Amino acid sequence: MDDRHKLRDFLADLLRHKGDVDGFADSDLLMTSGRLQSIDTLELVVFLEEKYGVDFAERGFNQNELDSVDNIMALIGAN
Amino acid sequence: MRIVPQLDTYPKLIAFAQTPAGKVAAVAAFAVLLRLARMPFGSIRTPVVELAVIVGILSFFPQHRRLLVSAATLYYLVRHAGSLLKLDFIRWVASWQGIRTGPTLTVAAAVALVAVFCALGLYLKIVGQHRHNLLGRRPVLLLVGSYVCLLVAARAAPHGVPRVAAWMLLAIVCNYLWFFAYAVADYTSKAPDPYRYQIGTFLPFWIGNRVSPTPIGKGAAFLRRVEARTAEDLAVTQLKAIKLLFWLVILNVVQTVFHSFVYGELPHRLATFWQSHHIPFPHLSVPTLDDALQQVATGKTVPAYLAWAILLSHFILVVLGTTIGGNTVVACCRMAGFRILRNTFKPLYSANIAEFWNRYYFYFKELLVDFFFFPVYVRYFKKYRRLRLAAATLAAATFGNLLYHFCRDIHYVFQLGLWGAIAGFRVYAVYSLALGVGIVISQLRGKKIERATLPFYCRVIACVGVIVFFCLLEVFDYTGRTDSLHMHFAFFWNLFPLVR
Repeated sequence: MDDRHKLRDFLADLLRHKGDVDGFADSDLLMTSGRLQSIDTLELVVFLEEKYGVDFAERGFNQNELDSVDNIMALIGAN
Repeated sequence: MRIVPQLDTYPKLIAFAQTPAGKVAAVAAFAVLLRLARMPFGSIRTPVVELAVIVGILSFFPQHRRLLVSAATLYYLVRHAGSLLKLDFIRWVASWQGIRTGPTLTVAAAVALVAVFCALGLYLKIVGQHRHNLLGRRPVLLLVGSYVCLLVAARAAPHGVPRVAAWMLLAIVCNYLWFFAYAVADYTSKAPDPYRYQIGTFLPFWIGNRVSPTPIGKGAAFLRRVEARTAEDLAVTQLKAIKLLFWLVILNVVQTVFHSFVYGELPHRLATFWQSHHIPFPHLSVPTLDDALQQVATGKTVPAYLAWAILLSHFILVVLGTTIGGNTVVACCRMAGFRILRNTFKPLYSANIAEFWNRYYFYFKELLVDFFFFPVYVRYFKKYRRLRLAAATLAAATFGNLLYHFCRDIHYVFQLGLWGAIAGFRVYAVYSLALGVGIVISQLRGKKIERATLPFYCRVIACVGVIVFFCLLEVFDYTGRTDSLHMHFAFFWNLFPLVR
């Protein structure tokens, strides 16, 4: 399974946990639209730290970079 | 069954709202509903006509939206400079220093404001050019830190003009502080908005007369993601604004009836009508929380049933007031073409404390999360997940919350001195600490509970528990500096006669 699929699965799990079973596109803004909240961002931060070694303290933290699958993939790619 | 029709889902209405006649009708509906949604008991008077004219212009020239928003915001600043720049406070400081408070002082404040905007522009440029050093990585910390240092130093400034100048600077930056912080945060990204667009996000016109340092709609980075890109998108966003205002009108009626019934106070026109018809108005005459606190301060007790009635009434009105006030701003922002989330969204539906905080005052929570929670979360205790979460939550809900209010209410520092202002903050410190601890516990427990799978009765119990927690917390939601902690605890114990 490639990184994009792993990430999509992870985000789908987060949404399902909140009772949101609607699909989402890679460009959908999940935070801005209110489908994911700050508390979900925490899970995502830990996921990116553990799986991809992203160090937000080093690179700076910007919630906007975690808003969609495309943005997160760009962040992983830049890491 | 829905009370408010889902206007933004009717294809014919969406199509109509894209036509010139539809745009005029939408702005007219907006103006009427905004007028009806004004809170009858508050001191806030939304300038309906001004807002309607501005959103009307924005509706017809969406291609220039960001520039027009900046222009409208600057117009608003000139028009409402008194409240936006705390001119009364500046005059008060000047009179204390024996300086004349005539037009020269107003001109000086205007010059200082221009200087602040220029200095910020320069700071943003520097931050943008140095993204990878300390200045670029911690710009908000430097911005807010500088403000706090100036606040601490202002009282020590030499008597006379220098002291007035220092307080003038503080008063001007005071309401803008967190708006500036979002602009600075945007400049750490690769493609920030130009400064001419950033200006439109500093106390933007859609706040109406609700002058608050909390940026509803956050900053430029957020707004450019939620901006309507097409005519259809704009029509849907504006219909969402109208739908929201419909809901706020209903809440306004509920608030008026509830306030009148509980406290026996009627809005002026209703009172006149009632008196002219010699009809007795039925009401409970429940004392306000403030009155009850004054009563317990004199050593009197309040019966438990009455204390609970006081608290519950106060809580309901606070929630209604926050919902109407904050979401009115959201509706105005949506009419301008930005599809932002509601500030308050079904708070009483929350099944845990963290969820309530998220639903109750979304943009204040976002401010604390953006500038306090995440900076701590991504830096400290990374190997200890629970400790990491707890530290970040306390940094936001407790420390950030206190700092926000301390920076907002600078007149107490001038009035009472630094130590007096800090010591007087004890009641709100209890509030912030209890809130922080409550959210930490809620977050740690929340991971174990899958909300969607909760049985109905468990959910009801959870919701009631959350409401009781926030009700009790309201006893300490006091940002003034004169009340003693004893006074608030005395009332608190009146709620539990068996424990007392």
